[in-house]
Parts: sequence; structure tokens; C-alpha cells
Amino acid sequence: MSGDGRTGLQADGVTAGYGGDPVIRGVSVRAEPGKVASVVGPNGSGKSTLLKALTGVLRVSGGRVSVDGREVTNSPPEDMARAGVGYVPQVDDVFAPLTVRENLEMGGYLLGRGQVGPAMEHVLAVFPRLSGMLRRPAGKLSGGERKMLAMGRVLMLRPSVFLLDEPTANLAPAIARELLEEQVRQLARHGSAVLIVEQRARAVLAVSDHTYVMGGGELRMAGTPAELQADPAFVASFLGGHVQRS
Amino acid sequence: MSLLVASVGFGLITASVLAIAAVGFTLQFAVTDVLNLAFAAVMTAGAYTAYAVNAAGMPIWLGTLAAMAACAVLSVLLNYLVYAPFQRRGAAPITLVIVSLGMALIVEFSVAAVTGGVGVSYRMSQGSTIRLGGLVLTTAQLAIIGISLVVMVAVHALLRYTRLGKAMRATAANRMLARNCGIRASRVIGLTWALTGALCGLAGTVFAIDVGTFTATSTDIFLILILAAVFLGGPGHAYGAMLGALVIGLATEVSAVYIPADYKYVVAFVILLGMLAVRPAGLLGART
Ligand SMILES: Nc1ncnc2c1ncn2[C@@H]1O[C@H](COP(=O)(O)OP(=O)(O)OP(=O)(O)O)[C@@H](O)[C@H]1O
Ligand SMILES: [Mg+2]
Repeated sequence: MSGDGRTGLQADGVTAGYGGDPVIRGVSVRAEPGKVASVVGPNGSGKSTLLKALTGVLRVSGGRVSVDGREVTNSPPEDMARAGVGYVPQVDDVFAPLTVRENLEMGGYLLGRGQVGPAMEHVLAVFPRLSGMLRRPAGKLSGGERKMLAMGRVLMLRPSVFLLDEPTANLAPAIARELLEEQVRQLARHGSAVLIVEQRARAVLAVSDHTYVMGGGELRMAGTPAELQADPAFVASFLGGHVQRS
Repeated sequence: MSLLVASVGFGLITASVLAIAAVGFTLQFAVTDVLNLAFAAVMTAGAYTAYAVNAAGMPIWLGTLAAMAACAVLSVLLNYLVYAPFQRRGAAPITLVIVSLGMALIVEFSVAAVTGGVGVSYRMSQGSTIRLGGLVLTTAQLAIIGISLVVMVAVHALLRYTRLGKAMRATAANRMLARNCGIRASRVIGLTWALTGALCGLAGTVFAIDVGTFTATSTDIFLILILAAVFLGGPGHAYGAMLGALVIGLATEVSAVYIPADYKYVVAFVILLGMLAVRPAGLLGART
């Protein structure tokens, strides 16, 4: 599925907000197929706003967004899904009254009749824990199960771009690490371009190929995890310690 | 005793009519986010549409189909011309309630203006009388109960087993997430207006058959009963509305055996208020 024309997501100078003054200004990020890119930054720095702008949830007032070489700036969310962008929002990430199976079916809404079953098998292979709870309402799942369902729902379409907004928030550290190191890496291994927003800077650096740092609605720094870990300013503000020598 | 049994019969018929309306109303609210107080007025427009077809010499079932089509179109237009533009401008839900109240008056007065406000009845046979246990029902009344049961099963099948029905539930639960899945929410919402509009037309016609003679204002109190059934079951909850309709239908008619019939609608609200005090989210809680 990868290769052929898949170049991932590219955002150039994106400016967006909620109707008043822009909340993010001139933000440029890339997510490449097979790679994990991450966005870190303090609360309120505009990370979620960036993802909403990239998925058509919010209007982009400046800059451009393209997916696999096609410009999709300001396409509505339903067309972003068709363009191959999958999005797991920070909150309200599942259809709570629908069962796990129905949530996955909605994730595969754009698939043809015969494709839903195989897609669901694939998702359940990636998230085996969901297999035993297909008839349970999504609203009754634990935090970790719920995030897996939210990611599984998006995986139904095998999107070329995965946008994840703090998937490990409210998860126990062990479960968070598993989600990042197993499942998120696996999405990239299958050829998707992954852009993940995280509060757990140290944990996400470990699985990232490239990391962006946001502050006050703008991009402050960017680089490989190794580059950032060697930067005293980054270490002081995000890793809460001294530059690691390795 | 036989009076009690007979009132149960009336209760079942009222519940059947009410269930069709309440399910339509609650689905409309769940998916479109509009608490459409014009629903009962649109029912009346449907009842008169069936009357016009019937008066032209057609059988009442054809009139019913015409009413369903007319109310589907009218509901889609109400959304397209009035509610959707308000929603696009970010109007608060309470604003839309007031707008829908205005539309209720406009639709009702338009119907009254066109029809002249005189009471009318369908030309149809009530059929033979059937005894079931102590219940005495006409064929027409039995047909109303049967139609209502079929509608309830059909709504259940739609919501549980069809792609459209699941998309409706997904849109009701989380509209933006549905759009993120590629579901064209505005199309689902348009179809919901058409579908619930058709239910509204059906409800209007069976209501008119049930009451015998009706005018443009006949459904005014019925709107209150719809609201009672919908909120009793939990707003936005289809199965709750069915249950609510059964409780309200039976309670109003059976209570009329023991208290002056004028007060029977008060009973519906006493039940609703009591229930809301215990379970504010309604019998079945959250949305479908
Ligand atoms: N729906 C909204 N309407 C108006 N302003 C909003 C809305 N959501 C967020 N904001 C504002 O936009 C700014 C950025 O918020 P955003 O949610 O993007 O931050 P974030 O980096 O994702 O923070 P967190 O780490 O807490 O999730 C904040 O100042 C916030 O108050
Ligand atoms: Mg956020």
C-alpha cells in the first residue's frame, strides 16, 4: 500500500483559530510515510488547534495543507477522511452509545461492503484486546481500551496520515508506554505517516523520528530527538533536567 | 371493571398514535439537535393532506401515503429554509426552540387559513367490531395499533442494522467525529428530516382517524403529550420514546375512569414530573 504517490502530510505556514484572533500562526509541519513525527509543548500552546486545522475541523485562515501531494486546505472533515487523513481527537474520540463493533463500522464507513470484515480483522489483530468486547458500548470502556478503540476506528480505513492528539493522556504509565512503543510505531511500520501530539515529552521522543516544539501558538523548535535532547533550552523546559550524554 | 378494560383499549390506541409521533420527534431531536415544537402543527398539515386526497375520492391509505410525503417535504423545507440557517450562524439550542415555536404557529395558522378552520373527518369505514378478551376495538383501531407496532420494529431495524441508521446514531452521538469518519453529516441530517417528517405525517393521519373529527388546532394538546412521552423516556432516545408513549397513553386514558376526563392530561405531566425528580435523564437515560 505504501510507496506510489504517498508523500504524507505537509503543512506550510498554517494560521488558524476559533473566530477571534488566530490561536496558531504560521505553523509548518511534515509527517512522512513510515515515520513518526511528534508535537510537544505546554498546555494551551495550540497543539490541538493545529490538528483541528489539519483535519478540517477548524478553518485555516492562512497557509496551505497537502496530503500525498494534493492540496486539501480547508476541505471539510468528511473530505479529509476521503483524502486519507485519520484523526483521533483529544476528547470525544469514540461514539459512546455505540458498541465497539459499531464504532469500528463507522470507522470503515467509506469502505465497500466486502471490505469492512477484513478491515475489522486487521484492526483486531493490531488491538487484540478489543476482540473480547465487540458488543460493549464504547462509553463503558476503560481509558486505555477506549483509546485503542479510537485508534482502531481510524485504522479501519488504513489512512495514509494518522493524527493523534494526546493518546496517552489519563493512561497509566505502563499502558501509555505500550501504546506508544507498540501500537503507534506499528502504524508507522505499516506505512502510515504519523503525527502525534504528546505531553509525555520523554516517552514520545523515544518513538519519534522528528519532533516539533510549540509555544504560544508558534513553532519554537524542531529536530530529531537526538538534536533536541542535546539542546539545553529544550531539556530545561521539557525534560526537566540536564542534557543527557549518550 | 369493564370500564377499566375499555379504557385500557383506548390507552393502547392513544399510545400507538403517540409512539409514532414521539419516536419521530425524538429521532429528529437526537440527530438534528432541533427540539422541533412545530412537529404537531406539521402533523395537522399531514392530516389535512390525507383529508384532501380522501375527499377527492381516494382511499384513506392513499391519503396516508400522501400525508407522509407532504410532511417529509415540509420538514425538509423547514430545516433547509429556517433551522439550518440559524444553526449555521451558531444559534443556541434554546434560540432554535423559540424559532420552532414560531414555526408551529405559522404552520398551524397557514393550515387554518387554507382549510377554513372547520372540523372535518375522513370518509372511511371504521370496520367491524372485534372483541379481544374484554377489549372492544374496531378494525380501524386495530389497524392503528398494528401500524404502530410495524413502525416501531422498522425503526429498531433501521437504527440497529442499516448503514444509514448507524450513521444517524453516530451523528447524534458526536457529529464532528462522524464527519471525521467520512460521514456526510448534512446528508444524514437531511434524510433524518425526511424520515421523521414521514413519521410525522403518518402520526397526523392516524391521530385524525383516532379522534374522528379534527381541526387545525386539534394537535395542540397532543404536542404536550409528545413532549411528555419523549422526556419520560429520555430525550433523543428512540426506545425511551416508545416506552414513554405507552406509559403516557395508558395513564391518560385509564385515569379518565377515576377522575374527570378533563384532567387526564394533567396526569401525564404528574407522572413526567415525578419521574424527572427521580431520574432526570429519563427512563432510559442518555441518547440512543
Ligand atoms: N473551542 C475553543 N474556542 C476558543 N478558544 C479555544 C478553543 N479551544 C481552545 N482554545 C484556545 O486556544 C488555545 C490553544 O488551545 P489548544 O487546545 O490548541 O492547546 P493545547 O496545546 O492542545 O493544550 P493541551 O495540552 O491542554 O491540550 C488556548 O488558549 C485555548 O484557550
Ligand atoms: Mg490539546
